[in-house]
Amino acid sequence: MSDATALRLSGVSKRYPMRPQKGRFHSLKGALLRGELWRREREKGGFLALEGVNLEIEKGETVGVIGPNGSGKSTLLKLVAGILKPTTGTVEVNGRVTALIELGAGFHPEISGRENAVINGMMLGLSRADVMRRLPWIIEFSGVGQFIDQPVKTFSSGMYVRLGFAVAVAAEPEVLVVDEVLAVGDQAFAHRCLDRIAALQRHGTAILLVSHDLALVEHLANRALYLRAGSPVAYGTAASSVARYRSDVASQEAGQQLDTTSGRRWGNRAVVLDVVEVVDVTGRVTGTVRNGEPAAIRLAYTAHEEQTDFVFGVAISREDGTHVYGTNTDLDGWRPQSLAGTGEVRIEFPALELAPGRYFVDAAVHAKEGLAYDYACEVCSFLVTAPVGWPGSYAPRHRWLPSGPAMLPPLEGE
Amino acid sequence: MRPPALLVTLHRQRGLIGVLVGRELKARYRGTLFGYFWSLLNPLLLLGVYSIVFTLVIPARVPTHVPYPLFLFAGLLPWLFASGAMFDAAIVLLDNGPLLKKVMCPPEVFPAVTVLSHLVHHLLAVPVLVAGMAAAAFAGAMRFPVTIALLPLAMVPWLIAVSGLVLLISALAVHFRDIKDLLHNILNLLFFLTPIIYVPELVPAGFLRRAVLANPLTPLVELYRDVALLGTVPKLATWGWAVLVAVVCWTLGVGVFSRLRETLAETV
Repeated sequence: MSDATALRLSGVSKRYPMRPQKGRFHSLKGALLRGELWRREREKGGFLALEGVNLEIEKGETVGVIGPNGSGKSTLLKLVAGILKPTTGTVEVNGRVTALIELGAGFHPEISGRENAVINGMMLGLSRADVMRRLPWIIEFSGVGQFIDQPVKTFSSGMYVRLGFAVAVAAEPEVLVVDEVLAVGDQAFAHRCLDRIAALQRHGTAILLVSHDLALVEHLANRALYLRAGSPVAYGTAASSVARYRSDVASQEAGQQLDTTSGRRWGNRAVVLDVVEVVDVTGRVTGTVRNGEPAAIRLAYTAHEEQTDFVFGVAISREDGTHVYGTNTDLDGWRPQSLAGTGEVRIEFPALELAPGRYFVDAAVHAKEGLAYDYACEVCSFLVTAPVGWPGSYAPRHRWLPSGPAMLPPLEGE
Repeated sequence: MRPPALLVTLHRQRGLIGVLVGRELKARYRGTLFGYFWSLLNPLLLLGVYSIVFTLVIPARVPTHVPYPLFLFAGLLPWLFASGAMFDAAIVLLDNGPLLKKVMCPPEVFPAVTVLSHLVHHLLAVPVLVAGMAAAAFAGAMRFPVTIALLPLAMVPWLIAVSGLVLLISALAVHFRDIKDLLHNILNLLFFLTPIIYVPELVPAGFLRRAVLANPLTPLVELYRDVALLGTVPKLATWGWAVLVAVVCWTLGVGVFSRLRETLAETV
C-alpha cells in the first residue's frame, strides 16, 4: 500500500450468521463437549450483508457511502473501524482509525466530563499525554465550560454529544469513519463540526462518511459509493453517485424497471443522449478551451416517445472528482413543453473561467423529480489551458492594484 | 489471535486499563458515605457472621494455632477476590457492549480491568489482616508470621488462575447468558468444597476429603493462607499443584477468549 493510500478494501464481504434462538451455539454442552466452540463458523448460510467491496481512499480524500437502509453501509464502516472482521477480503488501514458512530458511547455517567474525555480519548487510541495536551481544546470546542468537572449524568443531551464529538475529532486520525453524526448540536455547533471536518480534510485525514443526507454527501465528499443490498452499485464522483441513487429512488417510487447497463451510465432510455461534446464558438468540437474564452456543451438527443416532464442538466468535475459546477434547465427556470424525435440543446458559457486542468462532463436528461431517462457520467472531457498554472478550479479575470510604487507590473510579452 | 498477541494488546493498552481501573474504583463509591471502606466492610461483615456462627453457635474444631476469625479471614480474602472477579467477568463484556460495538475498544481490556480492580480491593483489605495478626500476636494468641513476605509470590499462581478464569467466563458469558446463574451456583458449591472455613484434615477421610483435595482451588487458597497467616512455607508439591492449576486456567481462558474474540462485538 503506497504512502498516499489511507485505506484499502479488497474484495471485502461480510456474512452474519443467522442465529438460532439460543445464539451461535445450540447449547453450552454442545459448545464445550462436541467442540462447536473450536470449529470455524460454517461459511455457508447466514446473511450476506456486504459483498465484493473494493475501495481505495487516499489521504485527504472523503468518500460518501449512500444507499437505502439495510444496504450494508454501517457494516462497511464497522469493518473499516475494525469492530467487525470481514468474512472474506482484506481491510488495510494506514494509520489510526477513529469512529464517530455513537458520540459519547463510552461515557460513564458517574464520573466527570473531564475524566470521561480522557478515557474516551484513550479508547480512541491517544496516549494519556496526548489527551491531556488536547484537553483545553476539547473543553473549548465542546463549549461545556464549567460543567466539565461535573458527572456527565448531569449533562444535557446536547452537551453529551458535543463533548463526544470534540474528543473524537480532537486528534487528527489518519482515517475517520462517520455514521450520520457529522453535524450535532445546535446550528452554531453544527457549523463548527463541519468546519472541523474541513480542517481534518486539509490535514490529510481520509474520511468515510455514511449519511442519508445526500446534500451533505455532495457537499463534503469527493467520491461516493452507492450500495444496494450489500453490493456496490456505483462508485464515482459524489454528484454522480448521489444522482444515481436519487434516480433509483425516483424510479422505484414510479414502479419502473431500471436499465442498469453500466456503472457510468443509466436511465430508462425514454430519452437518449446521442452525443455530448464540448464545442467552441464556431460550433466545432474541441478538446481544449483557453481560460476565459467562450465554450459550449452540446447535447444531442432522441426522444423515443413524447415527453412533457424533462430536465436537461450538465455537471463539470475535475479529474480528482471535485465537483466544479452543475446546472440544469429546471434550476435556470426553463419550462418543459414537449420533447419528441431528435434535437439538440446547447449550454453556452460566454467565458469559461476555469483554472487550468482536465475536466469531465456529466450530462443528463431526467424527469423533474429525478427519474433518469439517460444519465451519463464523465461522458466527455476537455482541457483548460492558461498562461499561469493557477491552482484550484475557478480562475476568474482579475488584476492587481497596488496603492503605491511598491511593485511593478509584469513586463509585456512575459 | 494467539496468547502472545493478547498480552501485546494488554501491554499496549496499559494506560487505558489504568484509567479504567481508576474509573471503576471511583465510580463504584461515588456518592457513598464510606467510600473505599465498603471494600473492607464486605469481608469484615462476612468475617463477623462466620466468626459468630463457627465459634459460638457451632464451634468449629479447627486445629490451628491461630484465632479462628483470623483463620477465616485469611481464607476469605483470596476467595472473595476470585469470586468477585468471576461474578463481574460474567457481565463485564455485556455491560461494556456499547464500547465494543461503537468504539473500537479491544475486548481483552475489560477482563483485565475486572481482575485489576478486584486486586486493588483485595490489596486494600490485606492491611486489615496484618493489623489483626499484629494485635493477636501482641496479645500472645499467635506468632506473627514472617512468611507473609512470601505473599506476593504466593499470589502469582492465584492471580494467573483468576485471570484465566475471568477471560474464560467473560467470553463465554457473551454467548451464553446463563453463565451468570450457573456461576452463582458453582461458586456457592465451590466455596464449601474449598478449605476456607475449615481445614482439609477435618473432612472425614474418603470421598469427601478426596473431593476437597482434588478441588483445584484448594492448593491456591492453602498457599495463600500458609504464608499469610500460618507462618509455614508450603510444600513444593503444593506450589507445583498451584502452578499447574494456574497454567491450565490461563491457557484455557486465553484459548477460549482468543477463539471467540472476533465474535464478541457482533454478539454482545
